[in-house]
Amino acid sequence: MTQERLLSVRDLSLVVAQRGVEVVKKVSFDIEPGEIFGIVGESGSGKSLATRAIISLLPAAIKVTGGQVTFKGRDVLSMSEAGLRELRGAEIGLVFQEPMTSLNPSMTIGRQLEEGLTLHTNMPAPTRRERILAMLQRVGIRDPEGALSAYPHEFSGGMRQRIMLASVMLLKPALLIADEPTTALDAVIQRDVMELMVELTKAEGTAVLLISHDLPMVARYTSRIVVMEKGSLVEQGTTEQILEKPQHPYTRKLLSSLPIRGEVRTIDTVSAPMVSARNIVVDYPGRKSLFKKGTPKRALHGVSVDIHAGEVVALVGGSGSGKTTLGRTIAGLVNQSSGDILFQGRERSADWRNYRLNCQMVFQDPYSSLDPRMTILSLVEEALRLVPDIDRAAKKKRAYETLEEVGLGTEYALRYPHELSGGQRQRVAIARAIARRPKFLIADEPVSALDVTVRAQVLALFSDLQKRYGFSCLFISHDLGVVEQVADRVIVMQDGRIIEQGDRNTIFDKPKEPYTRRLLSAIPALDLTETGGVKLKWRLEA
Amino acid sequence: MKNYTFNGLIGAVLITVLLAVAILGLFWTPYDPMKLSFTARLAAPSAEHWLGTDEFGRDVLSRIIVGARASVWIGALTVSLAAIAGTLIGLISGYARGWVDAVIMAINNALLAFPGILLALGLLAVFGANQYGIIFALGIAYTPSMARVVRGAVLSLREREFIEASKIMGNSEVFTMLRHILPNCLAPITVLSTSMFGWAILSESALSFLGLGVPPPAPTWGNMLAAGRPFIEQAVWLGLFPGLCIALTLLGINLLGDALRDKLDPRMRGLK
Repeated sequence: MTQERLLSVRDLSLVVAQRGVEVVKKVSFDIEPGEIFGIVGESGSGKSLATRAIISLLPAAIKVTGGQVTFKGRDVLSMSEAGLRELRGAEIGLVFQEPMTSLNPSMTIGRQLEEGLTLHTNMPAPTRRERILAMLQRVGIRDPEGALSAYPHEFSGGMRQRIMLASVMLLKPALLIADEPTTALDAVIQRDVMELMVELTKAEGTAVLLISHDLPMVARYTSRIVVMEKGSLVEQGTTEQILEKPQHPYTRKLLSSLPIRGEVRTIDTVSAPMVSARNIVVDYPGRKSLFKKGTPKRALHGVSVDIHAGEVVALVGGSGSGKTTLGRTIAGLVNQSSGDILFQGRERSADWRNYRLNCQMVFQDPYSSLDPRMTILSLVEEALRLVPDIDRAAKKKRAYETLEEVGLGTEYALRYPHELSGGQRQRVAIARAIARRPKFLIADEPVSALDVTVRAQVLALFSDLQKRYGFSCLFISHDLGVVEQVADRVIVMQDGRIIEQGDRNTIFDKPKEPYTRRLLSAIPALDLTETGGVKLKWRLEA
Repeated sequence: MKNYTFNGLIGAVLITVLLAVAILGLFWTPYDPMKLSFTARLAAPSAEHWLGTDEFGRDVLSRIIVGARASVWIGALTVSLAAIAGTLIGLISGYARGWVDAVIMAINNALLAFPGILLALGLLAVFGANQYGIIFALGIAYTPSMARVVRGAVLSLREREFIEASKIMGNSEVFTMLRHILPNCLAPITVLSTSMFGWAILSESALSFLGLGVPPPAPTWGNMLAAGRPFIEQAVWLGLFPGLCIALTLLGINLLGDALRDKLDPRMRGLK
């Protein structure tokens, strides 16, 4: 502690008080002033708890059992509540994952930003206002004056995270803890917010502790990284070392789970497409007020998509691009205002029964897409209920086989969804979708809710099944890394229109539209090194 | 979590005793519950009359045993009526949404605005003051609250992805409603039903108290409680024992209801 270290964590151990389970085991790391430091780990690795301990903001059930946290030479763990209040905000700022819940929904932005300044400084009111306006300007809020009297819900997720950042940086803390700061945002906005964070903290000389499951994202901005697994720190080093010469098997596993480009396949695009959507227009009814009928909001402006037999077509774009709406329209969950959807050359509505038998869907959230009161087996069996020409026994057999195919043995058949992990649930959802042997599958962000290593497994499973059964697939995702691995063809959407489409390699290697380039600049291209690691190459936006 | 099963056990014991007593009352009572005896008016509990006698010399224990049947019967039928009607209305309203929902809920809210007992009084004037009149009147009076609770549950459930998944599988709306929505509404329905059982017994007492319940001399706990009121200073047992029975029954029903709700929910499995 003689040297000017900003933060030093020594042998920190945490347990769940009631059950005595150790959730963080002897974790040590140091942060120097002004550096950007990353902690990488999957859910349950203890990374969030370890950082909460730094500011003594642990949930009541978690107790510190050992170790030391020293911030600027002061022992944090033995500090009084009053001392901690001095520290939090003023010297250590926090940005959390979900900006909707970390901003108070019933307070104006102006008052929330002012709170910290009144608490920690004795600035006069006009100066506070000046400082707040300048900061809002800096984080890219278009109308800072107007924002002062606006409420959080009037801003998009990205804007809210910028405001959150503004509120934290107003106090010029020495350390900023950012816990999954951009996970809830789509890829492009994610990058914008990160760049802003780096720029602001650099200008103020603030050190950043960046916590995320997203290794490339962390690697892009940090100089040093620690990797955590199941409460233990398994590897630490400079970002380069970790990426290019990983030592620990878990780090290698994380790196090998990063999506890599899949092989180029030949798809028969000459024959008539399996599914064809033509000039689809979708209007959502506008918000009605008491005396006024709302003006409808157009979500899709005449979009056409063809999907051929055996082809995986990826639909990419930021939030609000209309990609999910298009998927749901083709699935028949949203009615189009105009336009036709053809299946095997015939109007879909001519034979709904046939379409339902052959078109299935996998949803994003495996926690909400499975009926919590049904067993895994009955969930999969239900998908076979309306399939003609096979009897009950055969259906049961097929359900077991399908579960086996997605890697869930008989021991899972009689369990309920809540007894399974997120990855296993998504396997069930996939089993349910493929049990009918559909000719066409719509997958709406099927792996976005999963951890890195689980995501890799589920993607591999998906590709396997796709090869085996040869179904066509509309794969909706904002994560271009995943798309690069599975898609044959890519369609880029923005503001309810298709702006660019082409085969995967063309889109990834020679994008034409600036928006596509922006999307691509959010993900790295990977070069494998001989030492079992990777080199990340970031694409330029321009 | 151990507490839960323990509470459930207490509830089950109380309700079993109640049902046993109600059935017993069909065949046997210590004395004839209707038999008047002017020599033994307002006798205190004794070896002869365990729970004493009332102002007409009728044995209180016998009347409680017989009254149990009426109370259970009224409670169970009222709750069944309200639960079935309310669930059906709530399901339709929540699932259909739009103008169907608007109309149903407008009527429902209008009914909710009346105090339940007032509504029941009005309905009793139509159905006539007897056991089945009470059941219908209370059943109808409780239906709106059940409908409202079920509708709320349905509204939040139908936004879940597994409902969309069901649609994608080609299931009909009726199937989706019965297979996916209804089972997931069971928890609030059970909780509300158990409370309603209590309310029904109490309301029956209140109506009897107002002279609109099951007509005397047939005993129910409610009219016994009401009849005991003028004698509360001389013979406290007249009101005490029926009141105690009502309280224990409510306790039993609530404990059992909570335990049942947890038992029926697969998510509570394995959380011991």
